[in-house]
Amino acid sequence: MPAIFKRLWQVNWAEQWQYRANLIMYILYWLVSPIIYLAVWTSIATANGNVSGLTANDFITYYMILLIVDQLTSNIIIHIFAYKVQDGTLSGELIKPIHPMLTSTLVNDIAFKTLNLIVLTPIWIVLVLLFKPQFDSVSISGILLSIPAILLGYMINYLLSGTITSLAFWTTRVYSIHEFYYALILLFAGQFVPLQLMPEVIQNIARFLPFQLFMYLPIQIIQGKLPTNAIVQGYITGILWFAVALMVFRLVWREGVKRYSAVGA
Amino acid sequence: MYFFKLISTLFKVNVQMAVAYRADALVNILLNIMWLGWELLGLSIIFSNTDTLGGWGFGELIALLGVFRIVHTMMMTLVWPNTEKFNQSIRDGSMDYTILQPVSSMFLVTFSRINIWRTWDLVLSIVLIVIGVNLAGEVATPLSILNFILLTLSGAVVIYSLWIVMIAFTFYFTKFDNNVTILQALLDSGRYPVSVYPPWLQVIVTFIIPIAVATTIPVQGLRQELGTPQVLMFAVIAAVSFLVASLFWKAGLKRYSGASS
Repeated sequence: MPAIFKRLWQVNWAEQWQYRANLIMYILYWLVSPIIYLAVWTSIATANGNVSGLTANDFITYYMILLIVDQLTSNIIIHIFAYKVQDGTLSGELIKPIHPMLTSTLVNDIAFKTLNLIVLTPIWIVLVLLFKPQFDSVSISGILLSIPAILLGYMINYLLSGTITSLAFWTTRVYSIHEFYYALILLFAGQFVPLQLMPEVIQNIARFLPFQLFMYLPIQIIQGKLPTNAIVQGYITGILWFAVALMVFRLVWREGVKRYSAVGA
Repeated sequence: MYFFKLISTLFKVNVQMAVAYRADALVNILLNIMWLGWELLGLSIIFSNTDTLGGWGFGELIALLGVFRIVHTMMMTLVWPNTEKFNQSIRDGSMDYTILQPVSSMFLVTFSRINIWRTWDLVLSIVLIVIGVNLAGEVATPLSILNFILLTLSGAVVIYSLWIVMIAFTFYFTKFDNNVTILQALLDSGRYPVSVYPPWLQVIVTFIIPIAVATTIPVQGLRQELGTPQVLMFAVIAAVSFLVASLFWKAGLKRYSGASS
């Protein structure tokens, strides 16, 4: 198995390198909305002194960390997989004795992510120079403590996106469903605003959903803003959701593949 | 008159193409309503934490959202679908057929695809603007409404001209598939008044990719912050940018030589 992954990595890494010019445009595209939210909240915090106790610097550090965490926990399965179901190229992958979604697609996604992070690093440094965040509250222990949360966030997001992508076996409108999923992330993961500024209702719902592991929870852990019991609670919710996501994914995938019949068959 | 007739014909053709995908339309309309709800929720979250954003109140932000959605609708119904078609036609050489028509190629490239289902968004945008202006409690005078309309049109023309220049670059660099990405990316900045952004970003969205000219500036006109000379200046800017864009388009077109030659 390690040999298979090693070879898959070589292939997918080389494949992703072909698209480096597109990649820079993609990164620029993806950067804009967090930067807009950063600007909006920083301007409010500056005008009012603070927003419910959060200073301008808190918002700047929040979003600067978000840029990295979001890169780490997000995925592009819908773009690299859904079309294969629709045009029938999946057939070739189904013959192989490895799970298409959990091996080659996974490795392709990780290769994409790695390259993204390499491209993002210099841009991120420029943004740090422009916005001048003070990372006083960030500690080594916070970063270490956030790593499992980021991993868990990535895995849950991967399985949920994978489940939605697998709906391509039933419907061609899978992209619209994914757009809805993306809106949920925007709302409950803490991208638009750090969750503690959301209305109470949304905060309470968000606490029981997996989305906060994609951004809010790791960022807050890195910033050392969470008490131990909140971290523990976040991890327990995450582990439970991971189990649920894994079960749902396996079920939907199994039923989907049964339905699959390639174009021309 | 001639161009109106052409547009209405192209519109009919696009309606015929669109009714084949009714279910898609329904899904898109639902998603669109979801995003509108999301935007309003976003604004109410912002204003539950502050009274003003960049000096503007809640009502003004609603009006700005309306103006933003007008620009957004223009992009969704015309600009993005036609960009896709144009890039494709440069790659496979089907641009030949567009040039052979006895009509301005720039006109055809602008209007040949119309995303019909998005046009209803214009109504929604106008409703938002009316609600926003009422909430803001500004007495919009006939003059300020006239200024607003003029500024909205000028802004739209400026963005349109920029788009023409961007896609005309494809004549020089055939593989330039990302010709409009920067416009797509920065468009979202139009949701908020330009004054909330840091200076370097303000410069970008005002002068380089002038989204603010099409969003913030019209609402400033509505708020009577701009005098008649300034309004006229923006109209002149729009006319000049349209002229420059057409010249650039013609120059680019000369470089086009089909896909196989």
